[in-house]
Amino acid sequence: MKANVAELAKLPGVWRGGELEHASQPAVPTGHAALDRELPGGGWPSGTLSEILHDDHGIGEVSLLAGAIARATEGDRMAAWINPPHLPYAPAIAQRGIALDRCLVIRPAHREDAIWAAEQVLRSGACGAALLWLAQDDYAWLRRLQMAAQAGRSMAVLFRSTAAERLSTPAHLRVALERGEGMLKVRIPKRRGPPLIHPIALPVGFAPRSRRAVARARVAVAAPAVG
Amino acid sequence: MLWLALELPSLPLQLAERGGGSSAALVISEGAAQRPVVLCANRAAKDAGIREGVAVAAAKALAGELRILQRDPSAELDCLERLAAWAGQFTPMSCVDGQGIALEVESTQRLFDGHAKLSASIRRGIHELGFHATLGIAPTPLAARIFARAQAQGIPVRSCLDEREITERIASLPLFLMDWPHEALARLTDLGVLRFRDILDLPAEGIARRFGPAITASLDRLVGKLADPRVPHVPPPRFRSRIELPAEAEGVEALLFPLRRLLAEFEGAMRGRGAGVQRLMLALEHARKARTRLALDFSSTEREAEFILAIAREKLGRLALPAPTIALDLRAEALLAYVPRESTWLPGAQEQALDRDRLVERLAARLGNDKVFGIAVADDHRPESNWKRERARRKAEPGSSAPRPCFLLNRPQRLIAEDGTPALQGALELIAGPERIEAGWWDGAEVSRDYYVAANPRGETFWIFREHHAEGAWYLHGVFA
Repeated sequence: MKANVAELAKLPGVWRGGELEHASQPAVPTGHAALDRELPGGGWPSGTLSEILHDDHGIGEVSLLAGAIARATEGDRMAAWINPPHLPYAPAIAQRGIALDRCLVIRPAHREDAIWAAEQVLRSGACGAALLWLAQDDYAWLRRLQMAAQAGRSMAVLFRSTAAERLSTPAHLRVALERGEGMLKVRIPKRRGPPLIHPIALPVGFAPRSRRAVARARVAVAAPAVG
Repeated sequence: MLWLALELPSLPLQLAERGGGSSAALVISEGAAQRPVVLCANRAAKDAGIREGVAVAAAKALAGELRILQRDPSAELDCLERLAAWAGQFTPMSCVDGQGIALEVESTQRLFDGHAKLSASIRRGIHELGFHATLGIAPTPLAARIFARAQAQGIPVRSCLDEREITERIASLPLFLMDWPHEALARLTDLGVLRFRDILDLPAEGIARRFGPAITASLDRLVGKLADPRVPHVPPPRFRSRIELPAEAEGVEALLFPLRRLLAEFEGAMRGRGAGVQRLMLALEHARKARTRLALDFSSTEREAEFILAIAREKLGRLALPAPTIALDLRAEALLAYVPRESTWLPGAQEQALDRDRLVERLAARLGNDKVFGIAVADDHRPESNWKRERARRKAEPGSSAPRPCFLLNRPQRLIAEDGTPALQGALELIAGPERIEAGWWDGAEVSRDYYVAANPRGETFWIFREHHAEGAWYLHGVFA
């Protein structure tokens, strides 16, 4: 019986509940070794839908993926930004190592258009990565996006609020982000393997270079306001 | 030589029903205005008992509600010429012949893997265009025509590939398949000469004396004794085609079916010329209203019907039509050289670039051009001018090294400040800065700001600035996402 289980575990798509699945899904390294170790396949899954859950904005939710996006757009594929909350700022994106000429920003007027555009982008195969802000909770639609991402071998990342953690998802990977002690704390409530409950801390987002310099500046700022 | 003849039986009726069939009785009339006769009738009219050749007045009596269309020979010729242009994708030698077209396929059948596959793809193509045609294959154009006509009459004929076999194959076919004068045919019938077998047994000199040399000459051409050269149809250097809808079409979905037929015709004609277009003009004609025009523009030369239809579908979906549509008109003025792209198993950079362009076109067609764009760094120190929208996909220069946020607000947002400390969901702690940016005094949009990176107690990090001229006024300008 035991031998049978060991053989079963060798089949593609079959893994033991207590372990991470390491084969099958293609993945791109994120550039954060600590995170890659926790992800099945040793990187962010490409060719499928994944979710980033966060309530706070400006905690490095996009910067976390910069390395993966840069890798996913190798071979001259595009990175699509669909319905982002603000304009992606070109100098910053270039700083994070993402080729600007491969970025495509799509800001549709309606929600329906955004979902349509997301499916087109994923299915076309022209985009290696797609970042989606859709405010979409309909399981059937997420399933469609998941199928489209598989068809187009595209890394689809959906940004949602942590309220979505209660809802089921067709995505294979779900990562929850929070900020604490100057680090980005990453929890993985869903992956192919046991969920990661104790968050890992990554040095993502803005790292203060010199707090003292800022403190001085702050005094300088404060002074005229007081006087 | 091997000729393939296409015969379009009841062409006037096919033309009228090409935009989609209807269940109403329809006849095509021809002849003097005082006594027009029915030239052809559709199924509904035939079911009502209307036969070809009866007077229109009699037909009206038979069918309660009858649509009568006048025959338009010029439209028929126009249609056949466009078909010949469409068939240019199969052979350089295609011409209008009788009520159909004739193609010389000996030279190109190998390209299409034999005449059987070639005729199958022609049959399929004709069907996609919305026509019904019978095919005849023979070593002479006239024999091919006779075979195609025989099939249209319901007489089964196998294709003939050897010139020596023509005599035997046509032997049992009736003579009325030839385009001979009615009197000649009537007199031959009186003599008991009904089939090709009978006339080919008679001495040629006698026939020439009784019926004129034209009859014997056409018989010689038929069996290949006399050369029968044809002039290939040269299509004009533009494309134009029109399709009339059987009934007024409300909405856009009903237009896609006839539009698919127009585009299939367009693609065939372009294939024949090795051409494509960057701009197609589609006009929707309405009854008693100005036509709606729609320009389809492509960034590269295109001709594939499926792709163009997808673009047109998105564009049409955004239109508000003033009235029901009665006809579609498709035109292309400038034909450009088209480089066919091979479909490969592993797509290379070229195919990907094509996918990309097509994706951007499809998105822009539905969402609007201003909603789909690329971004680039601009040569300016002001953050709001330090980036620019680009037509998607342009090379860009590397940016600066000072910290910049992933997201920039459309316009800076004023922050609440308590005791000179800005707040956004909690007091903001300045963690980097100041970075002074002073620029723009030369064009009236002057900025003079101190930028800081600031974080609130929850760890949300923002890019904020303090206006230099207005002390204490803080603004949010970016999010370090």
